[in-house]
Amino acid sequence: MRDALFMGRMTASATHELQNILATIRESSGLMEDLLGMSSEGFAHAERFKKGLSVLAEQVERGMILTEQLNFCAHAPEASPAGADVNEAVRALAGLARRSAARRKTTLVLAPGRTGLRTSLRAVEVMNAVDAALEAALDVLPMGTQLMLCVEEHGGLGVVRLDSPGFDALRQTPGWSELATLAKTLGIGVSAGPAGQGVVLALPRPAA
Amino acid sequence: MNAKDWKILLVDDEREFITTLAERLELRGIPARVCFDGESALEAIAAEEPHVVVLDVLMPGIKGLEVLERVKRTNPGVQVLLLTGHGSTRDGIEGMRLGAYDYMMKPLNIDTLIEKMESAIDYARKASALPGKSDGQ
Repeated sequence: MRDALFMGRMTASATHELQNILATIRESSGLMEDLLGMSSEGFAHAERFKKGLSVLAEQVERGMILTEQLNFCAHAPEASPAGADVNEAVRALAGLARRSAARRKTTLVLAPGRTGLRTSLRAVEVMNAVDAALEAALDVLPMGTQLMLCVEEHGGLGVVRLDSPGFDALRQTPGWSELATLAKTLGIGVSAGPAGQGVVLALPRPAA
Repeated sequence: MNAKDWKILLVDDEREFITTLAERLELRGIPARVCFDGESALEAIAAEEPHVVVLDVLMPGIKGLEVLERVKRTNPGVQVLLLTGHGSTRDGIEGMRLGAYDYMMKPLNIDTLIEKMESAIDYARKASALPGKSDGQ
């Protein structure tokens, strides 16, 4: 726990610096774009320059999203009296887990979720449990599949649902025991999704 | 008021970022002065009373929120736009409570920044026309 908080502080500081770097790149490329707009006549490579600047802008956007997710991870081990926001934790995890899903040719999709749901768990615990479920699912899903992740409310509880593969297949995966142990430790209910498809993680409700 | 008559002060210890931002504003006809720390920003504000201060919250030395508090005590008519990162959103919200006009996250969109400057200047102009209503929002 102390290690996680320490690494979180280090990561938060680094993401702050990264944001400054991205801000500087954006302003500098913006300045080049401004100057090009003022005097591109007669400049043979103006179009190529514009294309390069647009690539820079896209990459800055990409970096911003990544630093936002990393910053969320940096603060995820911190305890909060109000508990963690389930949707924010799952959104940050999904953003970072897309890369590992893509390596297995699976597209991870986060459905527009129920916002404002909270749990007594810390964000890192939510992320850890959902990641264990994702890893188990990725072990058995055929390549080229789409895996849907959503945050819902069931009877006042925050629930995270994965829509595939079949629950019985999931229970046979090597990662299942890790998920089961983690769920037991954290007080997360684990059950089959609708029609036996996927898995539902019911998170403990926030302290009153 | 015409944009060329705006008095803008930009404050950030990220020198390359803030000087480039000033250059881009000037290309749009908006004069902007730059400071790299809280101490020199307070001196510049006392001397020149800018319309708008764009102020980074995380700087070495005097932090942005402390600069904001002091400015609101000494020059309540000066409007402050805070610059925050994703990890310092709470500072932005705290800044609003302390009298900042608004806050923005880095990296910036220059058009949005100019819109917020214009809106802050308009707000200050209207507020100063009302007796006893010259401070922040």
